[in-house]
Amino acid sequence: MARQDALQGSLPLLVLKILARRGPLHGYGIAVQIEAMSEDILRVEEGSLYPALHRMEEAGWIKAKWATTPSNRRARAYDITVAGRKQLEGELIRWRSITAAVDAVLEQA
Amino acid sequence: MSWLSRLTNAFRPDRLDGELEEELRFHLEARAEEAVRGGISPQEAARQARLRLGNELHTREASRDARLLPWLESLVKDVRFGFRMLRKDTAVTAAALTSLALAIGASLAAFALVDALLLRPLPVYQPERLIQLTTLDERDPHENQTFNYPLFERCRQATHGQLDLFGMTNQFPEPVVFASSGGREEKVRLQYASGNALSSLGIRPALGRLLTPTDDLHPGAHPVAVASYNFWMRRFGGDPSVLGRWFSAGTTQFQIVGVTEKGFTGIEPGKGTDLWVPIVMVSNAADLADSDTYWFSVLGRLKPGVTPEAVRPPLQAVYANFLREQAKGFRADESRTVVDRFLRGQLHVLPAPNGPSRLRETFARPLWILAVVAGLLLLIACSNLANLFTARALAREREMALRISIGAGRGRLIRQLLVEGTLLAGAASVLAAAFAAIAAPSIVSLLSKSDGPVYLDLHPDWRMVAFLLLASTAAMLLFALLPALRASRVSPHEALKSGGKQSVRAGVLRPMLAAQIAFSFAVLFVSGLLLLSFRQLTHVDLGFDRSGLLLIDVGPVDTGHFAAMYKPAARIAALQLLDRIRELPGVRNAALLEFAFFSGSTMAENIRIPGRPPADEGVQGVPVSPGFLETMGARLLEGRSFTPSDVTSAPDQHETAGRPSAVLVNQAFARRFYPGQDPVGRRFVEARGDRDLPRDIIGVVRDVRLQSVRDPAPPTVFVPLRGLNGTLVVRADGDPWKVAPLVRRQIDSFGHWVRSGDLTLQSALVDDALLRERLLALLAAFFALAALALAGVGLYGVLSYSVVRRTKEIGIRMALGARQASVVGLVVREIVAAAGIGLAAGLILGRLLIRPVESLLYEVKPGNFWSLALPLALLLAAAALAAFRPSWRAAKVEPSVALRNE
Repeated sequence: MARQDALQGSLPLLVLKILARRGPLHGYGIAVQIEAMSEDILRVEEGSLYPALHRMEEAGWIKAKWATTPSNRRARAYDITVAGRKQLEGELIRWRSITAAVDAVLEQA
Repeated sequence: MSWLSRLTNAFRPDRLDGELEEELRFHLEARAEEAVRGGISPQEAARQARLRLGNELHTREASRDARLLPWLESLVKDVRFGFRMLRKDTAVTAAALTSLALAIGASLAAFALVDALLLRPLPVYQPERLIQLTTLDERDPHENQTFNYPLFERCRQATHGQLDLFGMTNQFPEPVVFASSGGREEKVRLQYASGNALSSLGIRPALGRLLTPTDDLHPGAHPVAVASYNFWMRRFGGDPSVLGRWFSAGTTQFQIVGVTEKGFTGIEPGKGTDLWVPIVMVSNAADLADSDTYWFSVLGRLKPGVTPEAVRPPLQAVYANFLREQAKGFRADESRTVVDRFLRGQLHVLPAPNGPSRLRETFARPLWILAVVAGLLLLIACSNLANLFTARALAREREMALRISIGAGRGRLIRQLLVEGTLLAGAASVLAAAFAAIAAPSIVSLLSKSDGPVYLDLHPDWRMVAFLLLASTAAMLLFALLPALRASRVSPHEALKSGGKQSVRAGVLRPMLAAQIAFSFAVLFVSGLLLLSFRQLTHVDLGFDRSGLLLIDVGPVDTGHFAAMYKPAARIAALQLLDRIRELPGVRNAALLEFAFFSGSTMAENIRIPGRPPADEGVQGVPVSPGFLETMGARLLEGRSFTPSDVTSAPDQHETAGRPSAVLVNQAFARRFYPGQDPVGRRFVEARGDRDLPRDIIGVVRDVRLQSVRDPAPPTVFVPLRGLNGTLVVRADGDPWKVAPLVRRQIDSFGHWVRSGDLTLQSALVDDALLRERLLALLAAFFALAALALAGVGLYGVLSYSVVRRTKEIGIRMALGARQASVVGLVVREIVAAAGIGLAAGLILGRLLIRPVESLLYEVKPGNFWSLALPLALLLAAAALAAFRPSWRAAKVEPSVALRNE
């Protein structure tokens, strides 16, 4: 629960980073990646994953295409766009400055 | 992905739903597969996967909202639903559509005419800098738009540098012969203009050159002409070889040197010019030096930075000087008041962005009335539709209640109803535009006089489109918003109860009905008065018999022979010509008048009665030949009429011998100058310049209206014919057109120095004088019928609904023994009060509306019995007709059936 809350605000950041690193993935793939890379600490709230993906798609940060999986099924694959990469940079800078600020408060308090 | 895809998705929500479902399904399957690989059973895996996804519906909705425009999607749904609802009720929708389309269409047509004639500026460069000069004489309430040439030149000099003044005559149809046409005479619309006229208007040539100021220099020395673009297209098919072509008008030959640019047809809305020629080329060159002949309009373009106020003082000074010079020519015994009044004449500088227009003067007020009545019609249609929509909204109360109870907001309901209203208004607008596109040109063609068609630029401009949008939106708000607001206020549990209370809310129908009846009555009242007035006008006794009279112009073949036409020899010739024409088969009688009745020309006589102070009111004069009374069908009351010797022995125009001339006077003259006495045998004097020409009265003629149908005849003097120039009047046995060729041939073969001109009927000229009133009467009839139809439809709707609504109540009453008649009375009585108030309000409204029009009415007072009784009777008849079917239905209600149905 707490872990999932921590995820909410930074979901877009994680999605962008993953897509930037790993290339086109469908929604399920992205969720699996996040779990795998965080060693299962971060569990994606699946109900909010897809709306987030669609919002990011509308914002132009990621683009989607219907593709056929190796098992011959239709899945919607997302990939990062140029605008998305720019957004990713900005988000990273923001994330880093926030965590640094939290750290600073925790040190001094 | 962007707003564009969100837009398209709003229109294809099903496709979007399919995609979302597929994407989520893939996710669930992938999750389940992973669990199965981990050893869990397929059903358990599927269940876990679903649990993990959470609220699938919520996910789908959130995704959906991200990928389309939610408001657009619900709007599209509303539109589809609205269409279905409207289509379900075809009869009602059709009635609503027709009445709204008719009303909006009529309004649009009226506005188009108002716009074309009154509002639209001339298609010239910077029309707001155009001005027109007019003069005002204290005695005459109308601005005088014509000038004489010497005064014009002085004004031009006085304002040189500040104002570019130019003169332009009225355009009139003139017979010309083109060099290449082999002598064929054709009518073109010719206009005389100063050299700088076209350039001051900012017109550019499409071909060749325009008139220039050098074309103003020497009278008769600039035989050039400029054609209008439309004429060039129509007559020459756009052939560039039109430059250099010659044509002759009268005895002068002109060469076309240029064509104006496309889009310019002249300065008068309604009259398109074909050819412009320099003003100094007028056929009677003496007019250019004559300060007594007023024959053209003066317009001008203000130079940049100059205001009308800046040029007024120098122009007024020029005019005051001119008036003083003219006054010097007055007789020594002219009354002081007359002279002073004359000297107080003013010169006005009027802004003229839409050009001068006689058409506008005549039709401005009627058109505004037309617009107001059309507006009323629109209000009637709107109240009809409002009633309709209210009734339907009330009938759909259960549906509304259901919607509210499952969570629809009040705004949503209102929007649904407004969308339906907009669909209806939109469809009606399209129909209205089509209706106006047909109606407006038809009305314009009704404005045409016998001397030429009226051309009004009716092509749609932004003003008309804006008006259409405004009218339909206003209509839609009027008829859909109020009912929507009321209907959405329904309380769910009240309405969902079976047989819920509805009668309370139906009270909103009654004020609407009263308003409807008020507007209808007002329209009928105004229309009725206009129709009655027209009927009076057509029955006026003009003092002569206008039917069966052929009019044909007779005159010198060219201006060189003009003076000769007034010599005694010419007069003898005129009498001979008349004799010959009388001998023609089919001709009963003939006479020659210097100008025909109702032709628009006048001659003023300045007379002195011995022993009386000089008269300052206008006395008309008409030179006529012997036989004029019999031919025109006028009556001689006393004395004798002219004989040939009266004509031949009359003094010459320029004679100073002072021989008396025999004259006839009319009753008005006798009443004015010889009250209570016998005028026959008396002598009075006509003052012309400084000469006194004696006149002996030989007879009194019954009053004849020469120029106006409405105004009583002014004092008139009939003098003997002065020369072989004017209009020949022929009374034919039977159809006048049959004798026309014979008469024309007779004239043309009479002498090489005489020729015949325009041909028309006396009755046509009189009809032309009543053109405005005829137009108003036609439109009044149309609007009255439309108002009646709309009122009837509205009443029918209200009564029908009333019966349906009260079916149960009626059933109960009949079960308890009420008779059919009392049940019908019940239904009808409900609206009687509303109708009564409507009638009273309608009367007040009608009286208000008729006020600006009262001056157009002829011998009909707004309090006239028929003007009140007719509308009332018609409305009652329409009401009775409308009430028939609902009353029938009410009477036929079966108590058992009514009580069973909830």
